[in-house]
Amino acid sequence: MSGTAQLMLLATFLPILGGLGLLFVPNEKREVFQKATVAIMVASFLLSVPLWFQYNRGSDAVQFAYVCDWMPSLGVKFSVGMDGISLLLWLLTTFTGPIAALCSWGNIEERWKEYYIWLLVLQTSMLGVFITQDMFLFYIFWEVMLVPMYFLIAIWGGPQKLYAAIKLFLYTLSGSVLMLVAIFAIYFLQHKATGQYDFSIASFQSAQTVQLIASQTKTFQILLTLAFFLAFAIKVPMFPFHTWLPDAHVQAPTAGSVILAGILLKMGTYGFVRFLLPIVPEGTKELMPWFLALALIGVVYGALVAMIQKDMKKLVAYSSVSHLGLCMLGIFAMNPWGMKGAMFQMLNHGVSTPGLFLAVGIVYERRHTRMIADYGGLSKTMPIYATIFMLMTMSSIGLPLLNGFIGEATILMGTFQTWPWVAVAATSGIILGAAYMLWMFQRVMFGPISEVNTKMADLNFREIAYFTPLIIVAVWIGLYPKPFMDIMDKPVAKLVMQVQPDFYKAESLAAKQAEAAKVGMHGMEAQEAPETKEHGTAPAEHASEPKAEVSEAHAAPGGGH
Amino acid sequence: MVEAAGAASTGSGILWLIPFLPFFGFLINGLTGRRLKSTKVVDAIALGSVGISFLLTVYFFFQLLAMPEGSRSIHQNLWTWFDLGGARVLGGLSTATIKWAYKFDALSAAMAILVTGAGFLIHLFSTGYMAEERNDGRYYRFMAYMNLFVFSMLNLVLGANILMMFLGWEGVGVCSYLLIGFYFDREYAAVAGKKAFVFNRVGDFGFMIGFFLLIMLFGNVDYDTMMGMVRNLSAAPAITLFGHTATPTFWFNLSASCLFVGAMGKSAQIPLYVWLPDAMAGPTPVSALIHAATMVTSGLYMITRLNFIYVQAPFALSLVLLVGSLTALFAATMGLAQYDIKKVLAYSTVSQLGFMFMGLGAGAFSAGMFHVFTHAAFKACLFLGSGSVIVACHHEQDMRNMGGLRKVMPWTFASMGLATLAIAGVPPFSGFFSKDEILWKVFEHGWNGQGTFYYVCWGMGMLAAFCTAFYMVRLMAMTFFGEYRGAGSDPYGLTVPSEVHHASDDHALDDGHADAHTNPGLHAHAADDLTDHGHAGHNHGPAEVPWNMWVPVFIFAVLAVVLGFLNLPPSLGGLEHFSKWVEPLLYQVSAVHAGHHAAESIEYILMGFAIVWALSAMGLAWWMYISDPSWSKAKAFVARFPQVYEWVNAKYYVDEFYEAMIIGPAKQFSAQLWSLDNWVIDGTVNGAARFTVTMAKASDWFDAKVVDGLVNAVAWGLQQGSLGFRALQSGKVQNYAFVMILGFLAFAFWKFLA
Repeated sequence: MSGTAQLMLLATFLPILGGLGLLFVPNEKREVFQKATVAIMVASFLLSVPLWFQYNRGSDAVQFAYVCDWMPSLGVKFSVGMDGISLLLWLLTTFTGPIAALCSWGNIEERWKEYYIWLLVLQTSMLGVFITQDMFLFYIFWEVMLVPMYFLIAIWGGPQKLYAAIKLFLYTLSGSVLMLVAIFAIYFLQHKATGQYDFSIASFQSAQTVQLIASQTKTFQILLTLAFFLAFAIKVPMFPFHTWLPDAHVQAPTAGSVILAGILLKMGTYGFVRFLLPIVPEGTKELMPWFLALALIGVVYGALVAMIQKDMKKLVAYSSVSHLGLCMLGIFAMNPWGMKGAMFQMLNHGVSTPGLFLAVGIVYERRHTRMIADYGGLSKTMPIYATIFMLMTMSSIGLPLLNGFIGEATILMGTFQTWPWVAVAATSGIILGAAYMLWMFQRVMFGPISEVNTKMADLNFREIAYFTPLIIVAVWIGLYPKPFMDIMDKPVAKLVMQVQPDFYKAESLAAKQAEAAKVGMHGMEAQEAPETKEHGTAPAEHASEPKAEVSEAHAAPGGGH
Repeated sequence: MVEAAGAASTGSGILWLIPFLPFFGFLINGLTGRRLKSTKVVDAIALGSVGISFLLTVYFFFQLLAMPEGSRSIHQNLWTWFDLGGARVLGGLSTATIKWAYKFDALSAAMAILVTGAGFLIHLFSTGYMAEERNDGRYYRFMAYMNLFVFSMLNLVLGANILMMFLGWEGVGVCSYLLIGFYFDREYAAVAGKKAFVFNRVGDFGFMIGFFLLIMLFGNVDYDTMMGMVRNLSAAPAITLFGHTATPTFWFNLSASCLFVGAMGKSAQIPLYVWLPDAMAGPTPVSALIHAATMVTSGLYMITRLNFIYVQAPFALSLVLLVGSLTALFAATMGLAQYDIKKVLAYSTVSQLGFMFMGLGAGAFSAGMFHVFTHAAFKACLFLGSGSVIVACHHEQDMRNMGGLRKVMPWTFASMGLATLAIAGVPPFSGFFSKDEILWKVFEHGWNGQGTFYYVCWGMGMLAAFCTAFYMVRLMAMTFFGEYRGAGSDPYGLTVPSEVHHASDDHALDDGHADAHTNPGLHAHAADDLTDHGHAGHNHGPAEVPWNMWVPVFIFAVLAVVLGFLNLPPSLGGLEHFSKWVEPLLYQVSAVHAGHHAAESIEYILMGFAIVWALSAMGLAWWMYISDPSWSKAKAFVARFPQVYEWVNAKYYVDEFYEAMIIGPAKQFSAQLWSLDNWVIDGTVNGAARFTVTMAKASDWFDAKVVDGLVNAVAWGLQQGSLGFRALQSGKVQNYAFVMILGFLAFAFWKFLA
C-alpha cells in the first residue's frame, strides 16, 4: 500500500475510529465530545490535504489506489482510490466535517455522546463513498450513510423529526434498492459474457461492458438507466423527487442541514457522473429529453417555490433544488464546460448552501424561530453576521469575485453549446435566484428593527471561525479557480469521451485563434477590397436590409469554386 | 493555449494597479474601517487609491498617445481564469482559455479616465456630503462600497475579454445594490436596491445569451481574437449553428439583439428603465457616480466595444435606435412633471442615455460615446449640485420647498447653470455638440433615403431635446430663482407639506443618528434643526456648502463647458479629435469611405434650427417659472389638462403595470406551484406512504380475518362437530342402557317388521 493510499484510508476511517474511542468517554462530559469531535474532524482534514498536492493532474487514472480481496468467490474486493472528481468531493467532505462539528456546540443540548459519535460515523461513511472503486463496497457505504443521518434527524431534529427522518430514509432507500437491482443486472450480464464475477467499477465502466449493455434490448437498457436514474435523482434531488428535502432540512439540526446540503446531495450528482453516464451512455441519451426537462423544471420550479417560502430553511432547501437542477443540466450537457461547471456547482453549492444554513442556524439559536417575518433590520445589531450572510447570499446567486459565478457561468456556457434552448430557459432561473435570495435578505436584514431583535448578539469567535473557511474558499474559487479546474481536467475529458467518443476529434481552432489574436484591432481596418465579397457590402452607416442579400448573392459563386 | 494578445498589443506589468488599487482600498477600509478612530484615514485610503489610479490612467493614456495610431493597445494578463478544456464551436474545437486580463486601448482609456477621474471627484464630494455618517460608524462602509464600485467599473471597461466585462457588469450591479440600499434601515431604500438588481438581472439574461452566441461563433471571448476573426467570419457565405443555417448577418443580428437586452437593463432603457428613478433612494454621490456618469453608460461601452458585430447587424442597430429614441422622448416627458429634484435628474439621465443609444443606433459610435463623456460631465455636475442643494436645504428634495438659492449658493448656482446650458444644447457648451452630432447622424440616414423610420426617430429626438431644455430650466427656476420658500415665506402658496422630508430624505433620521448632529462643524445648523424637522418656522436659511463639495461641482461644470471642443465636427472647422481617437477600434466595412454625406448646408440649417429649438424651450420655461414666480401659467395648464398632467406625473403608470402584470402574477404562480408541491407532489409521496399503511392494514385484516379465519374456521367446525359426539359420552350407565335398548328396538323393528 502506497503512502498516499494509507493517508487516504487514514483520513477516511479516522472519524469512525475516533467515534469508537469516544464510546468509552462518560456521557456527561459534553466538552470532551465537542472538542474531540472537532479535533478528529480537523485531523482528518489535515490528513486529506496532502493528497491535493500529491495528485497527478496529468493523468485520468484512478490514483492512490489500493486493492485487496474481500469475497473472492463473488468478485468483491476492498478496492479504493480516487480520480480528480472524487478527490474534490472527498476533500469537500473532510473540509465540511469540522464546520459541522463546530456548529453543533451551541444547539445540541442532550445526548451529546450519541450525537457526536453518529456525526463521526456519518463522516466516514460519506468519505467512503467517494473513495470506493468497487460497486459492492460503494453500495455498502451508500446505505450505511443513511443510518447516522436518520438518527441525527430523528433524535435531535425539530418537532416533526420522526416524519422527516423516516421519509428521508425510506425515500432514498427505495431508490437505492433499484440501483442494487441494476448493479446485479450488470454483474450477471458480465458474468454471462466473460464467466467472471467482478464488482469493480473499472469493469463496470469498461468498453466491453458498455458495449454489452448497448447490445441488449432497448427495454432492458431503459430500465437499467431508469433504475440508476431514480436512485441518484432522489438523492440529488431532482424534481419531482425532491419533497423529502425541505422536510429533512427543516427538521434537521443545523449540522444535519449542513451535511445534507454540503455533501449528501452531492452523492446523487456524483452518482450521475460516476455511474449513469459512463456505464449506460446510450440509455441516458435515449432518455435525455426527459432528464433535461426534469432538470430544467427543477431550476425554475425550485426558484419559484423558494420565492414564497416563509421559513428561511425551507427557502434555502428549495434553492438547493434549483441549484442542483442547474448542476444536472451541466452534467447532461455532456461536454467539458458543462461537466466542469457541474463539478464547480457541486463544490460551490457545498460551500454557499451550508453557509446559508449555518446563518439560519445562528438566528435560530438566538430566537428559536426561522420565520422570515420574525426578523428584519438585523444589519443594525449584527453587522458581522449581516456581512457574512450577504457574502453567502451573493455566492449562492452567482455574483462575480465569488465562487457561484464560476459554476453558474460555466454550466450555462456549456449547456448552451449542446442544448441552447434549455440554457436560455435555465438562465431565466438565474433571475429568479437573485429575486428570492435578495428578497429574503432584505426582509431579514434590512428595514426597521423590532424590539426583540435589538437584543440579538452578533457572532462570537466560534461562529466566525466556522464561517471563515467557507468565505476563504468562496473567494478563492471566485478569483482563481484554475487549480480546481486543473485537478478535474483529465477525468472530465475522460468522462466526455465515454459519453461522446468523437468530441475531441474535431479540428482544433487554437492556431487560427492565435493568428487572429495577432491581427487584433488591425482587423477593424477595411482591406483594399481584394475580394468580391467586400464590394457588395454597404458602408457601415448605411448598412441595412439589402446588405444581407448582397453578401448572400456574392457568396454563392464564392461557395462554388 | 491562445495568448490573449499578440503582436497588436504592448505588454505592461503595472496595468493591473489601475483597477486593483481601489480594490485594495475597499479591502483595507472594509476590513479595518470599523476599528479606525478617525474617518480621515478612511478618506485618505479611499481617495488616495482612486486618485493614484487616476494618475496611472493618465500615465498610460500618454503612453498610448505616443504610440502609432493603429497599435494603441496595452495589455496585461494576470492569470488564467477559466480553463475549461475544449468546446465544440463553429468550425471545430476551441481550447481557448479565458484570462483575467486587462487591455488599455483608445476606448478603454477614455472610459477609464472617466471612471477614475469622475470617481475621484465624486469621492471628494462624498467626504462633505456624507459628513453626517462620519460619527455613526457607517462612513467607512460607504467609502468601501464606492471603492469596490470603482474596481468593478474598471474591470468592466479595462477587461480584455467579454467575461471580464461581465465580471465588472455584475460587479457594478452588486455595488449599485449595496449603495442604493445604503440606508437599509428604511424599507424603500432596501426595496429600491433589490429592484435595481433584479431589473439588471433581467438584462443580464439577455447579455448572457448574447455572449454565449458569440462564444459559439468565435470560439473565444477575447477582444483581440474576435477583432482579428470577425472579417473572415462575416465573409462566410453561411453559418450553421445548432443545425440552423443562416447568413452571418442573421447570427450577428441575433447575438447583438440579445446583448442589447443587457444594455437595456444596465443603461436603463425602455422597458427596463424603471429601476433608475427608484435608485435615487441612494445617497446623492452614488446617483452622480453610478447612476449618471459611469455604470449606466456600460451598455453604451459594451455596444461600442463590440461595434464590429453591431455594424454588421442592421436589425439590431435599428432596434437600438428605436429603443433609444423612445426612451429619450418618454423619459424626457416624465421629467417635465416631477418635483423631487433628484427624480427630475434621474429621468433626465434615462432620456440622455436614450440619446446616446440613438447615436449608436445610427452607426455613429463615436458620436454616441462622445455624448457619454459630455453627459458624464454635466450630469455629474447637476447631481452633485443637487446634492449640495439638498444638504443646504436640510435634506429637502422637493423643489417646491426650495427657491431663491442663487443668492446664497453662488458657486453651486453658477456650476449648475453652466451644466444646464450644456444639457439644454446651447452652443458652445459641450452638450450642444454631442447631442447635435447624434441627431444629425440620425437625420442623415433619413436624408440618404433609408426610410422614414430615421425621420421619425429624429423627430422623437428633437421633441426630447425640447423637453430637456424645458425641464432643466424649470428645475433651475424652482431651485435657484424666486424667493426661498423653505423658511416659511411662501407668498404664492407653492410649498407642500414636507412629507418627502421623512419619506425619501437621503439621510437617516433614526435615534442612533442624532448624536451625529451634535458635532460642531459642517452641519452645525443641521443639529438644532433636527428637532423641528417638520419646520414651519426654523430661521436659518440655506448657505453655500464647503469647498470639498462645491469644487468638484465646479470642475464638472468647467468640463461641461469645454469638453465639446474635443470633438468639433468638420463642418464647424473642428478636427473631431475624439472620433479620430477611437476610430482604429471601429469596424470599417469597406475601404472607401463611401456613403454620400448630406450636404453641409443642411447640417448648418439643422444646427441653427436646433439652437432656436432649445432656446425657445428654455424661453417657454423661463416665461412659465421665472418671469412668473407664482407659476400661475403652469398651474393653468395643469387645470386645463388634468389628465395629461396626472399621467405624466405618475410616469405613465409603468411601475403599476409591471406590478400588476408581471410581479403579482409571478408571485401568484409561485404560490400555486407551492401548493402543487405541497398537495400533489409531496401528496403523492405521502399518498404512497399512506397507501402502504392502508395496504398493511388491509393485509392485517385479511390475515386476521381471512387467512387466520380459515384456520380458525376449521378448528371451529371440528369443535362444533365434536360437540354432538361429546354428548354421547355422558358416562351414565342408564344413558348407555337406554341407547342400547333403543338400538335393540331399532334393530328388532328393522329385522322383524320390514
